[in-house]
Amino acid sequence: MRSISRRKPRAHLAGSAVKYLVINIIAILWLIPVYSMIINGFKSDLAVTSTPVLVPPRTPTAGPYLAVVGPLARPILNSLIVAVSGSVIATILGTMGAYFFYSLSTSWRRTLTVLSDAVFAIIAMGTFIPYQSTIIPLTRLIVSLNGLDTFSGLIIAMLVFYVPTAALLMSIFLAVIPRSVVEAARIDSASELKILFRVVLPLAFPGFISTLIFVLIQTWNNFFIPLVLTTTPNMRLVPVAVQAYTGGYGTLYNESFAVAVLGSLVPLVIFIFLGRYFIRGLMALGAGKGV
Amino acid sequence: MTSHRRKTNRWLRRSIPSYLVLSTPTILFSALLLYVVGWNFYLSFTNWSLLNPKIGFAGLTSYVQVVHQSYFINSLIHSSVLAVVLVAVGNGLGILLAGLLFFINSSRLRTVYLSIIIYPLAISMAINSVVWLWLYNYRLGVNWILTRVGLPAVPWLFSRSLAFPSIMIITIWAYTGLATLFYLASYINMDKSVIEAAMIDRAGPLKILRSILVPNSLNSFIVSTALLLIFSLRIFTVPYVVSGGPTNTLLQTLVVYMYYLFTTEYFSQSAAVASIITLIAVAIVIPYALIGIRRWIRT
Amino acid sequence: MRLTNIRVVGVHKAFRKRGKEVNALSDVSLRIGDRESFGILGPSGAGKTTLMRIIAGLEVPTRGDLYFDDELVSSEGRIIVPPQERNIGMVFQTWALYPNMSAYENIAFPLKNAKQKPSEIARKVEEVAETLEITHILDRRPSEISGGQQQRVALARALVKNPSVLLLDEPFSNLDAKVRDSARALVRKIQRDLQITTILVSHDPADIFANAERVGVIFDGKLVQVGSPSEVYSTPVSLGVARLIGDINDFEGEVAGSALSYGGFTIPLERSMNGKVRVGIRPENLRVAQGLIQDEDWLLMGKAVVQVSSYMGGVYKILVASSDHRDAVLSLISERPYQISEEVNVYVRKHGVMVFD
Repeated sequence: MRSISRRKPRAHLAGSAVKYLVINIIAILWLIPVYSMIINGFKSDLAVTSTPVLVPPRTPTAGPYLAVVGPLARPILNSLIVAVSGSVIATILGTMGAYFFYSLSTSWRRTLTVLSDAVFAIIAMGTFIPYQSTIIPLTRLIVSLNGLDTFSGLIIAMLVFYVPTAALLMSIFLAVIPRSVVEAARIDSASELKILFRVVLPLAFPGFISTLIFVLIQTWNNFFIPLVLTTTPNMRLVPVAVQAYTGGYGTLYNESFAVAVLGSLVPLVIFIFLGRYFIRGLMALGAGKGV
Repeated sequence: MTSHRRKTNRWLRRSIPSYLVLSTPTILFSALLLYVVGWNFYLSFTNWSLLNPKIGFAGLTSYVQVVHQSYFINSLIHSSVLAVVLVAVGNGLGILLAGLLFFINSSRLRTVYLSIIIYPLAISMAINSVVWLWLYNYRLGVNWILTRVGLPAVPWLFSRSLAFPSIMIITIWAYTGLATLFYLASYINMDKSVIEAAMIDRAGPLKILRSILVPNSLNSFIVSTALLLIFSLRIFTVPYVVSGGPTNTLLQTLVVYMYYLFTTEYFSQSAAVASIITLIAVAIVIPYALIGIRRWIRT
Repeated sequence: MRLTNIRVVGVHKAFRKRGKEVNALSDVSLRIGDRESFGILGPSGAGKTTLMRIIAGLEVPTRGDLYFDDELVSSEGRIIVPPQERNIGMVFQTWALYPNMSAYENIAFPLKNAKQKPSEIARKVEEVAETLEITHILDRRPSEISGGQQQRVALARALVKNPSVLLLDEPFSNLDAKVRDSARALVRKIQRDLQITTILVSHDPADIFANAERVGVIFDGKLVQVGSPSEVYSTPVSLGVARLIGDINDFEGEVAGSALSYGGFTIPLERSMNGKVRVGIRPENLRVAQGLIQDEDWLLMGKAVVQVSSYMGGVYKILVASSDHRDAVLSLISERPYQISEEVNVYVRKHGVMVFD
């Protein structure tokens, strides 16, 4: 009788080793850009144009970083104000809207369901437009509200794009909530607002956090809106300030890298620490519905 | 019949104030968004340009003019190729990478690797583009490693045939993480005992991926493809920053071309291109995504 | 390739749950022989599925060894022979059928992985499908067939590769009660016809009685008794085991000499002892009568009053309470109905009393 284990115990182990080898190669490949971004900020002016991008500096210097911290301070503060408040407001308002559509779409009134689906579809389509094409009407709108170069102007402009986006995202997360819970709350005569904040939101919390993180990173990295709506250097947001350091003659490339790193710190830190909630939220989405 | 109506009225009366509060902000901002979209749409039917400083209705003139320009067709080809490549490679890599991650036993390690693949999306695309611009530097970028191992230096951004593919590489690097995430979610969601049964049935990891995990990930395929399509149509920052402006025709995508028209003050034509882009996106994605999301919600 | 024996030696399994270590299995040792049909019985969470998964190679023992035919397949902290190589067939509790494949493809899957010829595969699949009477649904998907049919497809898939041992994890608990009997009979038939070593895990004693020649009882991760089902039933090693394998009246009684008293009931015992003991009496070992029963197999316990009487599937379940002490209750089965508050005499079968210290 042939022994069972004689076949290929080695293969089993090899499979495991290959798997880790491949994923580590992929990880290294993926990390090359951020690695380059970080180390080139530590190179002297001469080194950055003469040493290869992938090679760490022989004599690292904090000069570039120190040089850009000052000029970046104000933009970072501005971005924090605009991005954080903008994304929080957008996500909350978007959730409210998403819940509105959610409760309409379950209505026993056929017309309401169709109507809400239609309106929803139109809003979704609206988010497809390349927002670069909206410069003119957007600027006109903000200017007419006296919002140029103001925090509120920037935030409102962000909201125009990100409230519908948040609504779209949250509607997907809301869809996986069991309707019976909402119906039970309705029978208990709770107002729709109360149902949303006391019953639905706790259930959809991972989705809420995911949407919030998503919108936060988007508003922070949004380049076009602050480009168009701020004219004074004082009100600049980080992406615009970063861009000022790139290209053109006399550009100090090592400072470009330093600026890039500092400008990405906030979203990266958010991603590193809160990213797992974002992933968990999306996983819960996948787990709610199977095949 | 009357009690039914009375109940409805009561429900309406009770719910209306809540509904108003709930719906108003979203409706408001969506209306603003649609206003902005609509304005663009309206503009595309005029003939406003540097040569025509007065806005007048011009029907489909702008569309006709734009569609006949070779640069439009050029950018359309670029965007189409990008869309196909990003969807194909994004999904393919996503399936494989998610498969790799799925068979890693430690969930903490899995999250780490997944974060590494997704992190490009956390960084502004403008910044990413600047870094890649350096990586594509003929002398100092990745060519340095290639020449060291004896391979020829690659003229990434100078060669006609490699310029746009270089852009595509950047987008693949940035967006594959999304596809990976959705596929991984689907794999993890599978009943574990089915995977164990397959192991007992002598299936190796590749076989399990091919025969069981992927065929049951249709939802992820739908979502992933829809998202990759949407993103591919909107690619602007990467070619713009890498080119240093909107004028490099080797790298122009539809949105870049649209912006180019804008900067050269062919406003109506620019608006026409924007509308075309939006319509393409709508035409491709909406039926797709709606079917997918409907399937998802209704099950 | 038949296995002649499976040996589990001193297996421990510990899990880490929220930082605390939980012992799923403690020092389990047993031996399963050639073509034996072995049952593993235990309450939910007792560790029986864990034991089966260790035998399958899906879990690794924290300590201890596992031998297939004197070959070490699992040991402390490592799986030496992975499940792919153990030539086992396993039916999962949820059947774990591949949802995207037809029944035919499900069954053919293990053969395809073993790289067999398509004609061979077709022959074997059809053969096993015929044995299990599922030929007519081979082209359907799992979602399109009933629970009973899914189970048979899962069985077919496990059997088609001619495994050395068949593992069944709670195979009947997901079936409708009506279908269970025929499912058990089917498994019995297969065991008989194929003469294959079988290990069956269940919390339902009916499965054990129907399909196991020997049973190992697991409580809290420990193997407390091994024997034939009837042995375990009539001579359980503890009250817990007795309760697990069947309905039982259990109560605390006071012994003085050779008479056990429980409320107003007096039961003569075989041996004499003193003090408090725990007693178990199976309902079928009790009888009530309005008059006296002249049968030396039945011993009079005392007088009682009927408290509850319910009809269940052809017989009456009756709860009686001792006339003098209404707290002392006994549950039994009767062929005829009794009225509530009716006074009856309660008899216990000789040798039908289990006493535990």
